[in-house]
Amino acid sequence: MRALKLLIAAMLVMVLSGCWDNIDINHRVLPVVMGVSKHDGNYLIYLQIPEQVQNSTQIKIVKGTGSTINHAVDLISANLEDRVDLLHIKVIVLDKKYAEEGLEDTISDFMRGRDVSPKTLVTICDEDMDAFFSSVRKKMGPKGTTLYDFFEKNAGWNPQIALTRVWEVYRSIHSYTRDVAIPIIRSGDTTVVQHVGSAVIKEGRMVSQISSEETLLFNAFQRESTQGKIEVMNHASVLVIGNSLAVHTRMDGGNPVLRSKLKLKVVIMETKDHPTSDMIMKELNESLTHQFNQMFAKLQESEADILGIGQYFRRQIPRSELKEWRTTFYPKLKLELQVQTIIENTGFLELK
Amino acid sequence: MDSLIQEIKDSLGNNDDFFLQQYTIGEARLLLMGFISLIDLTKSKEALYDNMHNWKLEANTVTSMMDAAGEVIDLDLEKAIMLLMDGKLILFFERECRFVVAEPVPSLLNRAIESPTNENVLQGAISSFIEDIDTNLGMVRKQVVSRHIKVKNLLAGSSHKKKLSVIYDDSKADIKLVTKMIKQLESSSDHEINNLQHVTRALGLSAWSSVPKFNTTELPAEAAAALGKGRVILFVDRMPFALILPNLIWDMFTLENDRNFPLPLMISIRVLRVIGVLTTLIAPGLYVALVAVNPEVLRIELALTIAQSREGVPYPAIVEMIFMLIILELIIEASTRLPKSIGPTITMVGGIILGQAVVTAKLVSNLLIIILAATTISNSTVVGFQNSLAIRLFKYVIVIMSAMYGVLGLLAGLVLICAYFSSLNTFGISYLNINMKKGEARNG
Amino acid sequence: MDKSLHVIFMYGLTQLGFIFFFYSGDIIASTSEGHWLAIIIGLVLNGAMVWLYMKGLGYFPQQDIISIYTGLGKGAAVLFLLPLIFFLFITNIITIRAFSEAITLIFLANTPLWAIMALIIIISGYIALNGVESIFRTGVLLAILFLPVILFTICISFQNVDFRYFFPIMDEKLTFLTKPPYWHSFSAFAGSFLFLGFIQPYVAYRPRIVMITVAALVPFYFISVYVPLFTFGQSTASTFKFPFIVLMSTIHINWLMFDRITMFLLLCLVTFTMLFISMVLWKLSQVLHRCLPKVKSSYFVIVIAAVNFIGCLFITNWDEIQSLIMWNTMLRFYVLVGIPCSIWLIGIRSRRMIKDEGA
Repeated sequence: MRALKLLIAAMLVMVLSGCWDNIDINHRVLPVVMGVSKHDGNYLIYLQIPEQVQNSTQIKIVKGTGSTINHAVDLISANLEDRVDLLHIKVIVLDKKYAEEGLEDTISDFMRGRDVSPKTLVTICDEDMDAFFSSVRKKMGPKGTTLYDFFEKNAGWNPQIALTRVWEVYRSIHSYTRDVAIPIIRSGDTTVVQHVGSAVIKEGRMVSQISSEETLLFNAFQRESTQGKIEVMNHASVLVIGNSLAVHTRMDGGNPVLRSKLKLKVVIMETKDHPTSDMIMKELNESLTHQFNQMFAKLQESEADILGIGQYFRRQIPRSELKEWRTTFYPKLKLELQVQTIIENTGFLELK
Repeated sequence: MDSLIQEIKDSLGNNDDFFLQQYTIGEARLLLMGFISLIDLTKSKEALYDNMHNWKLEANTVTSMMDAAGEVIDLDLEKAIMLLMDGKLILFFERECRFVVAEPVPSLLNRAIESPTNENVLQGAISSFIEDIDTNLGMVRKQVVSRHIKVKNLLAGSSHKKKLSVIYDDSKADIKLVTKMIKQLESSSDHEINNLQHVTRALGLSAWSSVPKFNTTELPAEAAAALGKGRVILFVDRMPFALILPNLIWDMFTLENDRNFPLPLMISIRVLRVIGVLTTLIAPGLYVALVAVNPEVLRIELALTIAQSREGVPYPAIVEMIFMLIILELIIEASTRLPKSIGPTITMVGGIILGQAVVTAKLVSNLLIIILAATTISNSTVVGFQNSLAIRLFKYVIVIMSAMYGVLGLLAGLVLICAYFSSLNTFGISYLNINMKKGEARNG
Repeated sequence: MDKSLHVIFMYGLTQLGFIFFFYSGDIIASTSEGHWLAIIIGLVLNGAMVWLYMKGLGYFPQQDIISIYTGLGKGAAVLFLLPLIFFLFITNIITIRAFSEAITLIFLANTPLWAIMALIIIISGYIALNGVESIFRTGVLLAILFLPVILFTICISFQNVDFRYFFPIMDEKLTFLTKPPYWHSFSAFAGSFLFLGFIQPYVAYRPRIVMITVAALVPFYFISVYVPLFTFGQSTASTFKFPFIVLMSTIHINWLMFDRITMFLLLCLVTFTMLFISMVLWKLSQVLHRCLPKVKSSYFVIVIAAVNFIGCLFITNWDEIQSLIMWNTMLRFYVLVGIPCSIWLIGIRSRRMIKDEGA
């Protein structure tokens, strides 16, 4: 009797397991990078697919158009021999023009569906997508994940690259007090990609652009580690080995005021014309402060709070007014940044 | 009384190893009966002779002689045959018409006490149980010198008689459990007991339970430790191991021998075994789940490598997995069947040649081979072969569930196994009890 | 024999699933600021009710609530138990259905819904068939296996928090009290502690330990609501159906060999929920068994499971689940407040009657 029951159960399992289509991993196409651009209301999708050909990886770029992203992917999928699976997309490259139009729908769709992970990195491409992807394919080595490694923190990431993921962009669309910066890349002359700065995204729309150096300051302000960045000045170049930020906020009669102190620990790498350490510190402080103020002026003008300064004022401003942070308070914000440099050591040589 | 002799002769006489000899000591004339295959007759006679001659010849000499020879009893056919079968020598004093059951010198049918064959001991006592139940009892007695150790002998079987011994520590064991067990054994004394399935049935336990109801050990030290923990030991004659009742889940991970190592080492060894069991259960299922249903859980680098290694494999992951698992089971089964001298050949053929060829032939992915190796190796970390068999079976449940539901199926399979474990109990003691104090368990 | 450990694991595990799946979403949807107040009001109510319930049960040692109610007479028993039966039934259907929906959303897009529901029901049914002690033991085993995973994922969930989202602190108007999502949030409490009244004849436990468990669960309620808030901010978090699950999918760990940790948290919670469902099945079978003592209670488990499954099949979409949850609100509050209070009152009454008889 029991044996019969077991047999029936086993048969049932056998029948059921063939019931729905689970596709094995080798029958799925696993694109790593997806490019999205928009032409005449139609989405143009690029997929960068690593393909294993006899122990080496080759990159395949496929392209498709459709009225929605999923439609385009579906069309690509229909034309490929395996099913396209967006589950492993690591980097999304957005067309700059498209980013300027506004990303809200796309990003929301990514968050809605389960396919694209909210952890996926977002970048903006500064040139024509066709050109970008064909150049990437030519230059990319026998490794499927190059473009992804460029951003990976334990691989090719540099402190002047803003790291932004889909969920952060989504948050910036909805949040009252927070915007994001998205790295801008283009194909490099000798390298696969070249980092040209960061796009300032306000509520899902690209409104301005900051340079690589400014992005470094942005990262420092986000308390991201800026370790490893080399700062070049007139008299010396230094290696940043640590950074910290102290912030003090206050409301000055309806005007928000933020005082912050950025501490940088540096090591001297090269010197020119025998500077003293005081000179180097002063020069560094001045140049960074100047750079930061310039960037902040630009940001304030575009009303995009990528530094997340509004966050500091959540305590002072009630929620109902916080809604107008970007338009009412942010333009009036006074930001005083003080850069303090500490020269940790001067290498094996003494500074004179 | 001669009629009884005749009856015995009738029923046993057609056995060529049965003897019925006339023998005279002094004035007593006796008939000796027994099995030549069980009794060393020459030595027995010598002993008998010595025994009787040392006796002071007094009045009524034959009676004292009878007392000296053994136990004087009244016999019927049934009992006589049983005693003979048991290897006893029966003396029939013709003049007095009395039967005496003597303890003869048995012919040597037992092996010597050796080191265990199915269990390995590192740093510990290595003598193991043998087939003879009395020797085994003696070994336990020697191991635990305590007046609390109680032994209860039982006889089971209607046509094939089998000796059983129940041993327990009356200061530690749950007496209710012991009496329940003995009562159960007595009530099913007409069951034949030739193997462990029979024992299970005689104990009134479900024969369908995949987890063995008793833990077996060959080592007196383990058996003694079990007694100390309040377990009951059952010996079956002709079985060279002790059956420890009830079997609890923690027995899968612990050996008393572990305690011969320092405490941190003991803990790490046991943790290792737990990891082993989990790996055995999870690894094959996880592979199937990740490859077939939920590849998004894999990191991209891994996903690409796996996709590459599976390129050209013509069937789904579940088939691939089950196919290789079964081949592996066949290898294990084959190497147990074969004599020790040919065993290594199978290992080589199976492990090296087949493993390599099957990958080059693109019948399975090479990651799968790694998974299988990990599974098989970790399966062997379990204490007790019977436990490792159970675990080996359960992993199929998880593999099949994973093929259907991916990672969800994997965990659901684990839940199912947990639920199954928790539904098991032996004489009201749950399989999941951590330790058996008097009464019931503290936790688990 | 004391089995407090089993009981507290059971109590804790069955709540965790609800906390991280539904509670965080409900609370975030019900108010836009001062969530802690909403949480605390719920927790205090829950704590008080559990305390009352156990106080009431303390008057009836070795009795379950079915016999307590039937002790009042047939009419009273029907009056009290009928809503309970309905509540348990609907809760079971909602739980099964909602969790399977979440599972398809998050990682089994190709698997048909009925198959997932069937899996959940079959496994819960199997656990329930083995009897109450087996349910408890399974709970302990699952806790040992999966709680470390849950605790680990909870620890790493703090990866992207920004504590400044804690402000603004207060919602002066207490608007959340009138919002339906807030009522729904009580489903995390209701139903979880009911089993304490069913197990008395089978499993002994110390009431004090249960209260400690109630206290120990408090951080989880806060974590489930506040970590998504700290990460996304209120205005973003309120757009998610399952804020905590989305939160988990934003966690990025370099050194782990797996990519989507969400899945592990979620699946562990699903296993705990299976435990919850099996408990409900067992409770239902107990009540029905008392009504029709001739039928074996294991048959009831099978029948109830089948009916639940069919019930789940009739729900076509998420909105229907929502409306079902809505209808269940009345019953939920009856179970959450009515049953503990009534047990307590009956307890006091019986105590007085015994005293009177003694005097």
